[in-house]
Amino acid sequence: MAAAPALTPAQQIKQLNDARKLVLGDPTFYPQIVQGVVPISGKGSRLEMRRWGADFLAETFAMPTIPPLEKESLSLFVLESIKDMLEDPTEDPGVIKSLVQTAASIYPLVFRWIINNAYDAPSWERMVAIKSRILRMWDTASPGVRICCIKFAQRVVLVQTAGPAADPKRGDPLEISLAMVPPSHPLIPARNLDAEAQALLDRMLSVFQENSSDAILVDATLNTLPVLIRARPQLANKILTVILNFNPLKLANSPMTPKLRVMVKSMEKTTRSLLINVNKRDPQNPLAQRIQQHIERLLRSRTDIFDESTRKRGPPEPIDGLDAAKRQKLGAQLPPPVRIHIPPLAPGPHTIGELFTISADDGLKAFDVAQLAPDLVAKIDVTILQRLDKELLSQAINGIRQRLESMAAVKPEQLNPATAPLSVEEDEDDYEPDFSVAEDTEQILNKLDAEPTGSEEPEAMAGVPDMALGTFVLPQPPPMSLNEIMQAGRASISRLFATMQSLDEPGKKSKSGFNRLAASSNDRDAWITVITRIATRSTYGLEDASVKKEEPDHATISDIVRETLYLYVLEDFRKRIDPAVSWLCEEWYNDQVSIRALGAEKTIQHYEKWALKVLDGIVPYLDAKDKVLTRFLSEIPSLNPEMLSRIKNLCRDPAMISLSITSLVYVIMFKEPAREIALDALEAIHESYEDAKPMAAKFLTKHRPGWDARLKGLDNGEAKVEGASAVATVT
Amino acid sequence: MAQALPVNGAAATFQLAANGEHSDSEDFKLKFCTVCASNNNRSMESHLRLAAANYPVISFGTGSLVRLPGPSISQPNVYHFNKTSYDSMYKELEAQDPRLYKANGILNMLDRNRNVKWGPERWQDWQVGMPRMGSKMSEKGGEGVEGGVVDVVITCEERCWDAVVDDLLNRGSPLNRPVHIINVDIKDNHEEALVGGRGILDLADSLNKAAAEERKADPAGFDSGGAASRSGFDERVPEIIGAWQERWPNLPAVWTLGWF
Repeated sequence: MAAAPALTPAQQIKQLNDARKLVLGDPTFYPQIVQGVVPISGKGSRLEMRRWGADFLAETFAMPTIPPLEKESLSLFVLESIKDMLEDPTEDPGVIKSLVQTAASIYPLVFRWIINNAYDAPSWERMVAIKSRILRMWDTASPGVRICCIKFAQRVVLVQTAGPAADPKRGDPLEISLAMVPPSHPLIPARNLDAEAQALLDRMLSVFQENSSDAILVDATLNTLPVLIRARPQLANKILTVILNFNPLKLANSPMTPKLRVMVKSMEKTTRSLLINVNKRDPQNPLAQRIQQHIERLLRSRTDIFDESTRKRGPPEPIDGLDAAKRQKLGAQLPPPVRIHIPPLAPGPHTIGELFTISADDGLKAFDVAQLAPDLVAKIDVTILQRLDKELLSQAINGIRQRLESMAAVKPEQLNPATAPLSVEEDEDDYEPDFSVAEDTEQILNKLDAEPTGSEEPEAMAGVPDMALGTFVLPQPPPMSLNEIMQAGRASISRLFATMQSLDEPGKKSKSGFNRLAASSNDRDAWITVITRIATRSTYGLEDASVKKEEPDHATISDIVRETLYLYVLEDFRKRIDPAVSWLCEEWYNDQVSIRALGAEKTIQHYEKWALKVLDGIVPYLDAKDKVLTRFLSEIPSLNPEMLSRIKNLCRDPAMISLSITSLVYVIMFKEPAREIALDALEAIHESYEDAKPMAAKFLTKHRPGWDARLKGLDNGEAKVEGASAVATVT
Repeated sequence: MAQALPVNGAAATFQLAANGEHSDSEDFKLKFCTVCASNNNRSMESHLRLAAANYPVISFGTGSLVRLPGPSISQPNVYHFNKTSYDSMYKELEAQDPRLYKANGILNMLDRNRNVKWGPERWQDWQVGMPRMGSKMSEKGGEGVEGGVVDVVITCEERCWDAVVDDLLNRGSPLNRPVHIINVDIKDNHEEALVGGRGILDLADSLNKAAAEERKADPAGFDSGGAASRSGFDERVPEIIGAWQERWPNLPAVWTLGWF
């Protein structure tokens, strides 16, 4: 280039611009111009010149009008200059950007040159130097430069992986691949290059794994990937898997600045565009279904995140209608939502949806919420409910209520036989205006007036005519006899127990101690708790011991439940001692509460009756080894002499003596309040049963001091001291 | 522009264009491309607006055919892209029903368009990077896009943005040149196109300001620690669009960084 050095920079640029226009018009001059431009725009020249030169090179090597082979020879010429400029750390970012773009364009060209000209080690070395320089600046440069580095890496990956066999002579840069490299090429060993390409691809894809916030890097990467997916099928799976695991909406959780909004939206949209593109080009690809699902998921989340917040500008869905309601209230004293929406009075068939639709917006009405995933709807609902003004909500509720009321009020009118057709078909489409007598014109006009937009769906009107059924009143059932009622009650109680049968036997006791909630697990234990409380507490305060029962055979619901519980326990008392104990504990507790609250005279006490009954039920079936008796006696809340007499009577059977006495001794040792009566029972055993004497005597001697002496005295004719007969109570 | 092209082709005989224009580095301009469905209403309104503000600009449509409103909604007037000029459309419709097409603003629109460029161009047929020389240079906004590439593509409808992005993905980015693709959603009528055109010009001004700032000489160099302190144009784009969106809340925007 023979530009005179005396020219001012502006003049020089002007000249260069003219030169550019020349080659744009006639590409045959490119070699000349490039060779003229490179020396004057290289390292050390003025910034304007370097910028112009770099831009020009980027444009030149991207220029579709230059044949690839010509570009190839031109590329060798510019290598040195590009390398020098790239290696200057003070170089202008704009220049670097263009140079990296240029490098991306020439990489395949130089690569092909080297494939065919293995001797040209210097050129390859320059290219390698450029490559390593670009790959080094990839992480540190500004994003504007980094995106170009990403693009360069994409080009390298494309070149350094095996593609479909292509004709090396044709030279489309997109077709140059490792497949063209002859084995044992001295400069470019295929294996190393392939490994490098894989590593570069990983590095490119790392932007997704890091869940980068930098939309520009993510977008730039995404938009370079399709050609890799397409032209290098062996990489497709890896790339797509990474993208499918990338959540572009991750940042949507943080507070949305306008910038973040743009970025999140952009990443989501770009991801989706890429996936759509992949599936469109190759619908048969193995990941197609996953991709489709991912696309839909993204779309849903996006709607979830953005549409809701965009609507902040316009009011969100439910507020839309309510807002109008509010305004209207200010204007007139009419109940707001009624006028907002369609005639609440229309007697025709209405869907529940129509009943609850407050919005006047046709678009919103047409929207079928059922299309959304339930979890999404739930999410939206929660958000809306959180934000929803209480006042608005109650207005809406009132509006719906009025609609319901007016519908109910209108219905009787429909019973008019003159207007009610005999064979009624619910055909909403069949609107026959002439046929309608049910409503007079006045009414219809009113209704039309009531419509805010006039664009209401026609079905609302079409549904109005007198096609509706009249009110149907279900005839009163014949009154039930007391017996039937009792039977029904029993049936429901048996259902109560049937439920328990279906529940799992409780597994391991997960938690014990005070700090647990009764009936919180869904197993039998929990259900037992429920039943025992129904038994003990449901009629609390309703019973009155001071009132004499007229018909004692009419058991209360509680007694029926108790009876059933009792049978349940007895069915398998060895296993069901736990339910029995907790039931009796509840009984006892309830008795005590009731005594405290209502007074002893008004309380019907159930505990002793049922404890005794259970004991009586168990005793006949006990065998000598049933420790369950000992346990039962020790765990139920209180004992009385009557209960202990049952234990005493066990000793009639010599085999049971040991069990009977052991149980009593256990009570004596560990249940202090019942100690005395238990000792009395033991004494009674000693007196009554010859076989039990030695054993009873042994424990009496041990636990009742002075018994020996008294026994002797008794022998001497002294009267036996009666033991205390009061009920001992554990508190 | 009165620029003399060196016709003899000798590289050494450049002539200085003596038109006293400002130098390029002082007055940097981003290159824009506007896109709508038919390259008639929205893209052309903003094409003209950007060109009037001295931005290099070209415009396209992404539809399969150019569709203009006809006598009824089911009878649009249909033309082929790249083959029918605005002028011939104008003449045809004027001959058909001058009152109708004047009343619905179509003739007015076509008249504007024929003064901007020759005819509607289809995005998918655009060979990116192909020089736009000759008659194209006399288009409004044609100056500066001779190289056949742009920095920013602005679509006027999300469908068009999708088409543009999808098309670029298919092309395989042979030029290695980054391009910002921004959708500005504008309803397809004359009034909205006017509003949208203003919005797009505002967006273009904001973007260009940032790009011009980047081009101010930076002695620190690109790879020094200071690179982060002064962010460049590309990474500022989301922020610029975000701020713009606040100003133009009724023109929802989408952006991505793609490749030519």
